[in-house]
Amino acid sequence: MMKTWIRTTTFAAGLVGATAAFAQAAVGQLAPAFSATDAAGKPVSLADFKGKHVVLEWVNPGCPYVQKHYNSGNMPATQKAAVAKGAVWLTINSTARDSSDYKPPAELAAWIRGKQGAPTATVMDEDGRIGRTYGARVTPHMYIVDPQGKLVYAGAIDSKASANPADVATATNYITQGIGEVTSGKPLSQATTRAYGCSIKYASAG
Amino acid sequence: MSLLHRWLWPVLLAPCLAAGQGTTVKTDQVRAELVAHAPEGVGSGKPLKLGLLIRHAPGWHTYWLNPGDSGQATTLRWELPAGTSAGAIEWPTPERLRVGPLVNYGYEGTLLLPVPVAVAPGFAASSLEVRLQAEWLVCKVQCLPQSGEFRLSVPAGASTASHAEQFERALAMKPRPLPDGSVRARVDARALALDVDGLPASLHGKEVRFFAGDAGVIDHAGAIAQRWEGERLHLRVPLSPQRSGSPATMLAVVADPAATSAGAELRFAVNGWPPLAELSSPVPPAPTAAATPLIATLALAFLGGLLLNLMPCVFPVLSLKVLGFAGHAHDRRQLVAGGFAYSVGVVLSFLGLAAAMLAFRAAGDSLGWGFQLQSPVFVAALALLFALIGLNLIGVFELPGLLPGSLSAVRARHPVLDHGLTGVLAVAIASPCTTPFMGAALGAALALPATQALAVFAALGAGMAAPYLAAALWPGLARRLPQPGAWMARFRTAMAFPMFATVIWLVWVLGQQTGIDAAAALLGLLLAIAFALWLFGTAGRGRGARTAVAVVAVAIVATAAAWSWSALRAEPERTAAAADARPTSTTWQPWSTDALARARADGRPVFVDFTAAWCITCQINKRATLSNAEVLQAFHANDVLLLRADWTRGDPQITEALHGLGRSGVPVYAFYAPGAAAPQLLSEILTVSEIRAAMSARAARTARSEPEATSPRLP
Repeated sequence: MMKTWIRTTTFAAGLVGATAAFAQAAVGQLAPAFSATDAAGKPVSLADFKGKHVVLEWVNPGCPYVQKHYNSGNMPATQKAAVAKGAVWLTINSTARDSSDYKPPAELAAWIRGKQGAPTATVMDEDGRIGRTYGARVTPHMYIVDPQGKLVYAGAIDSKASANPADVATATNYITQGIGEVTSGKPLSQATTRAYGCSIKYASAG
Repeated sequence: MSLLHRWLWPVLLAPCLAAGQGTTVKTDQVRAELVAHAPEGVGSGKPLKLGLLIRHAPGWHTYWLNPGDSGQATTLRWELPAGTSAGAIEWPTPERLRVGPLVNYGYEGTLLLPVPVAVAPGFAASSLEVRLQAEWLVCKVQCLPQSGEFRLSVPAGASTASHAEQFERALAMKPRPLPDGSVRARVDARALALDVDGLPASLHGKEVRFFAGDAGVIDHAGAIAQRWEGERLHLRVPLSPQRSGSPATMLAVVADPAATSAGAELRFAVNGWPPLAELSSPVPPAPTAAATPLIATLALAFLGGLLLNLMPCVFPVLSLKVLGFAGHAHDRRQLVAGGFAYSVGVVLSFLGLAAAMLAFRAAGDSLGWGFQLQSPVFVAALALLFALIGLNLIGVFELPGLLPGSLSAVRARHPVLDHGLTGVLAVAIASPCTTPFMGAALGAALALPATQALAVFAALGAGMAAPYLAAALWPGLARRLPQPGAWMARFRTAMAFPMFATVIWLVWVLGQQTGIDAAAALLGLLLAIAFALWLFGTAGRGRGARTAVAVVAVAIVATAAAWSWSALRAEPERTAAAADARPTSTTWQPWSTDALARARADGRPVFVDFTAAWCITCQINKRATLSNAEVLQAFHANDVLLLRADWTRGDPQITEALHGLGRSGVPVYAFYAPGAAAPQLLSEILTVSEIRAAMSARAARTARSEPEATSPRLP
């Protein structure tokens, strides 16, 4: 009996250890704090925006799914709508320096500007620490943090998982919907969705 | 703008699109070909499969049904003549592809995605004309969405088997469905636990690959714990902390990691998903209480049973037993027999309760001690019992007058049976009182196998019966009891008042559980019963009069019961259920895993009061210790977040949290010091000095670990 217990406990402990190794942010809990520099070299911290809703967007201009949302004007429009509602928008780049998709800060900022993008800041996370902490898997992977610093949304930009820009028109935009709901004091109708896109090109050493 | 891009879209993809409308599409990454397998030609009832044969350039891959952490499954849209229909893709067993910290499910090398085709009975054309629109995402490090349009003409009268080998290989790699009922699935906040029977012998004892068919549910990159028990495989698959679905039925494939043979296809129902987005609260390490040796647990249970005798809701009944001893002091034999009968009644009742709890536990319910009191009907029945006892003590009715003659005769003739029944009654009354030591003993008992758990409960019963058995065995003790006399009548009446006090408490508990309507209904029912008993007790001696009174009394009680039943059964209002958790001042906040996790992430110390309205010890601690000015001051000085978990109606989340702490009942007081791995559990009889000690220990600890606690926690 005791043996079974020991075995079960070891089994369970192994599990807990394994999951903790890749601990991720979870919706409904405190969003992990981070400090980094933006594309202009200025420091940015999540904590700077306490009291406001913060949208996090993982970006990689080389990814067809990101291109879908920037070339169609969907991502810039979503950014502007959210900022107009008082939210802060942080576009985060977790692509590793040695990846062929990597764009240096100035180039990345220029690319976003060229697509009429208007994030509050573009955050450089080349070592992937922020991305890994949030469990960001794809570009574009989207999150919403509430004014108390709690993660309230994690998932896709919209409801149609495809690379086809024609789908933007008929998809439900989860960020526009979510920001609309949280800023009018309503609970999110969808707090987690399945993010779709290209895998993030993380630096190999975590 | 969007129109422009709609037009631009095909242009952008131009290099990836089919050059013409043939059977093959070539890009730099894949060569995709529409192929057919019709060894007997095309006709109704003849085997026919179509498929997309994808040859990936080295290092490139496309995706399975569930692509995993990123990516997208290949889609096939068929255009076939009327009456002919294509089935779903028969996905071959995929591979697990690691991309940095992420995991994808997909295929490299050569892949055939076959689709069975059913041809209509009247098919008479010379060939089957097939058109296919396929979309796939092909990735190496970069990802490219590609699509192609394909056309194929399959002759009806001739054999088409040029790709027979590929179709055969794809069939060989198609996961084999396990028979229904092979998989038992349970889910908790962090993982999906599966017990799988009937896996092919080639997998037995091996470490397997697990592929979830549903996207957005599991943590694809997480480690899957697996254990073989003979031919049964136990799996614990971690859930994604950002899970986006709670599928009622799931599909999964279990396969050999070498991927040389087809895996097994699992289909199973999953019930009891935790709500989305309330996952992964920090779990304290496994409780150390489970390691308590059995003998110590039994001793604790015995001690707890002894203390039960002193509980205010038991003492009056036991005093009645004392009266009984006084009455029988002259008859030694009867005294001993009575003592034993009482003990047997007590122990059997405890065993009965334990058996019920174990049966529920086996049925998968998570219960805890005091669970009976979570049912409003049980609380009402208990109130009724106490009221009846009180009315009897106060002399409203006499049992011999009430019970049919034959039963009174049995009781008189079988005093031993009477003693046994008193023992049963004592246990029923004691159940609300969770005394100290019992918490730990019961927590351990819940985690023990059935026989040992029963032993613990038997020890508890033995402890409770011990003083009376002792008094019966050594008449010296019994003789020291006061001599019977007129004082007994007064004492008996006096004992009615604690009974009524208990009724008040139970009515309050019911009010907390169900609301004021149910409390009023219960009081109405009690009044009706009291009135009926009074009518009966004061009725004349005549046979006719007694019958008439009996009819009236039964009618009154039946009416009252019918009237009150719906109120007692009513679903509680949520607000009422949370009444005890409602902050009486701003200092206490309702407990939730979320609130606890947030405060701990903030580095704030947290004190959790696990309580219930029906738990007397809890209420005493709450009024005495937790309201103490010195304690409140200590909490305030240390910026302790005070959380109250109200278990009055058996919230399953709280039950789980209690089990997590190695307990199965309330009260439990847990203090989470910042940075400490596990909470400190304080004793059930909470003292001011104990809380102050916990606070000062914390102050010393934080002084030492402050720099570490404030450093960023990014990995």
